Amino acid sequence: MEGIVGVFRELDSTVEAIQALKKLRAGNIAVYTPAPRHELEHIIPHGPSIVRLYTLIGGLAGATFGYWIPIWISDYWPLVVGGKPVPSWVPYTIISFELMVLVGSLATVAGLFIHSRIPRITMTVGYDPRFSDAHFGVWVECPPDRQGDVTDTLKKHGAVEVRGEQ
Amino acid sequence: MATVAPPGREVGPNIPEANIQLPSVRNYRQVTDEIRRTLNPTGMWLAALLAAITCLLIGLGAWMWQVYMGLGVAGYSPPVMWGVYIVTFVFWVGIGHAGTLISAILYLFRAGFRTTIYRCAEAMTVFAIMTAGLFPILHLGRPWKFFWLIPYPNWRLIWPQFKSPLVWDVFAILTYLTVSATFLYIGLLPDFAALRDRERNPLRKHIYGVLSFGWRNSDTEWRHFARAYLFLAAFSTPLVLSVHSTVSFDFAMANVPGWHATLFAPYFVAGAIFSGVGMVFTIIIPIRRWFNLKHYVTLNHLDAAAKLCLFTSLIVGTAYLTEFFIGWYGGSEIEHSFWYNRVFGQWWWAAWIMLTCNTILPLTLFFQKLRRSTTWLFTLSMFINLGMWFERFVIFDPSLSHEFEPWQWTAYAPTYVDWCILLGSFGWFAMWFLLFIKNFPVVPISEVKEIIPPLLRVPRAVEGIEVTGMHLEYEPETPGERD
Repeated sequence: MEGIVGVFRELDSTVEAIQALKKLRAGNIAVYTPAPRHELEHIIPHGPSIVRLYTLIGGLAGATFGYWIPIWISDYWPLVVGGKPVPSWVPYTIISFELMVLVGSLATVAGLFIHSRIPRITMTVGYDPRFSDAHFGVWVECPPDRQGDVTDTLKKHGAVEVRGEQ
Repeated sequence: MATVAPPGREVGPNIPEANIQLPSVRNYRQVTDEIRRTLNPTGMWLAALLAAITCLLIGLGAWMWQVYMGLGVAGYSPPVMWGVYIVTFVFWVGIGHAGTLISAILYLFRAGFRTTIYRCAEAMTVFAIMTAGLFPILHLGRPWKFFWLIPYPNWRLIWPQFKSPLVWDVFAILTYLTVSATFLYIGLLPDFAALRDRERNPLRKHIYGVLSFGWRNSDTEWRHFARAYLFLAAFSTPLVLSVHSTVSFDFAMANVPGWHATLFAPYFVAGAIFSGVGMVFTIIIPIRRWFNLKHYVTLNHLDAAAKLCLFTSLIVGTAYLTEFFIGWYGGSEIEHSFWYNRVFGQWWWAAWIMLTCNTILPLTLFFQKLRRSTTWLFTLSMFINLGMWFERFVIFDPSLSHEFEPWQWTAYAPTYVDWCILLGSFGWFAMWFLLFIKNFPVVPISEVKEIIPPLLRVPRAVEGIEVTGMHLEYEPETPGERD
C-alpha cells in the first residue's frame, strides 16, 4: 500500500481538497478527523453501517437464549409453584429481555471492532498523530505515477504538510 | 471569574433549547490541552484517595468481622431480616441510573447539555453498580457461594429458580454493569487515541495505545462508531427502566404492607434518576472547580441539569402522595395502620427526612438564581443523597417491622457493622472514581470537539460546506459561560 497523505488545519480546505481529488480520480481516499463532521460525511458518502446487522442478530440470539434456558431448566426439574405452569413465559420475559440487551450490545461492539479493523497492532501507513488532536487528514492510496498530481492538488488546497508513505 | 453581562441583556440561560454552547472554548487544540491537564495527579487528589481507601478498609474490616461472627452482628432479628445492606444496594443501583439517563437517553434526545457532564455520569454509573453488586453478596451467610445464583451446569444438577425476583436481579444487574462499562469504554476509544498521540511518557503512551486498540479517527471508524454508539444508547435506554423495575419487584412481589403495589416500578425508576442527578451534582461541582473546567461545565449546563432534578423530584413527590392516598383510600385497615405508623408513628423521623430532602428542598430549583448557584446545588445534592437513602430505608424497614400480626411488630436499628460497611461502600466508590478521573478524561475530548466550531479558512458557510446553525450563532460574550 502506498500513497500520499495531506495534513490540513481547516475544515473547508479539507473538503475542497477532497472534492478536487474526487475529480482527479487518483485512488481511494480516506479522511481522518479529530471529531466526526457532517461536512466530511457528505463529501465521502457511505452506505449505512453494517453494524446494525450485528445488533439485530445479537439481540435476537440473546432473546431466544433468554427464553430457552429457563424453559429448558423448568422442564428439566419440573417444580409446580403456586399452581402456575412449569414453564411460565411471563417471568421468563425478564430474563429474555436482559439477555437480548446483553448479547445485542456485545454483538454491536463486535461489529464495530470487526468493520473498523480494530484492535490494530501498528499504526499502518497514512496516519499522523495530529489527526487525533486538531488537524484533518486526507490519505490517497495511489500508484507512483499519480502521486505528483495528488501532491499538487493537496498543496493547492492548503495542506500544511504533504508526504508520501508506503 | 465574574460574569459580565453586555448592556441591555439579562443574565440567564443563553440557549433556550437543548444545544448549549461553549463560548470560551476556541479550538480543538485547546480542548485536548485543557482536558489532558486534568490528568496530572495533585496532592489534594492523593489525600482524597487515601481518605477513600481508609473508609474502604474500615468497611472491609467490619465485613471480615461479620463473616467471623455471623450475620447477627448486622442487627437482624426476625421479622426484620433486610436492613441497611438492601437499603444501600437499592441506593447505589439508583445512583447509577442518572448516569445512563444523561449518557444514553439524553444522547438519543440530542440534549446538548449532556456533552460535557456525561463522562463523569457514566463513570459514576459503572462504579455505583460495582458498589451495589457487593451488597447482596455481603448479605449472604456464606458469601463465597454467591455464584450459585448463576445458571451453570453443575454436578448437583441444581438450577436457579427463574420465577424468583432475586434471580431476575442477578441478570438485570450483571447486564447493566456489562452494558454500562461497554458504553463507557466505547465512548473513551477516540479519547484514548488523542491521549496516546500527545503523551510523552513512554509507559503511559503504551498504556493508552493498548487501551485505544489502534483507533485512528478515520472516516470508516467514525461511521461504524456512530452507529454502534447509537445502538448502545438505544439498548441502555430500556435497560434503565427495566433494571430498577426489576429491583422494585424484589419488594412489590411480596405480600407485605407498603410493598405490594403496582406503583413500585415507575416510583423506583423516577427515584433512581432523581438520586443519580443529585449525585452528579455532588461529583461534577467539585470537579469543575478543582480541575478548572468552569468553561466546559458551564452554569447553563448545571441549570439544565437542575431542571431535570426538579422534574424528577416532582415525579417522586407525586409518587409519595399517591402512596399516601392509596393507603387511605384503599380501605385496608392494615395498610392504613401501616401508613400512619410510617409517617406519624414509630418511623416519623425517617419519613420526614425523606419528604423534606426529596420533595420540599428541591422546590427551590424553581428559582433560576438557585439553579445557577453552585454552592446551593452542591448543598442540595447532599440533602438529596441523604433523602434518597432514607427513602429506601423508609420503604423497607417499617414494612418488615410492622407486618400483619401486631405481636410481630418490632423495631430495627442498624449496628456499628452496618454503618462501617456503609462507609466502606462510599470509600470503594470514591476510590474507583478518583482513580478514574486522574487516568482518563473526565470531559469527552472528541464530543466537545463536535460541538465547537472547527477552524475554517473562510469563517462562514461556504459552498460545499454545511456549517450548522449552532456555529453561525456563536456568541463569545454569552452570559453563563463562567461563574
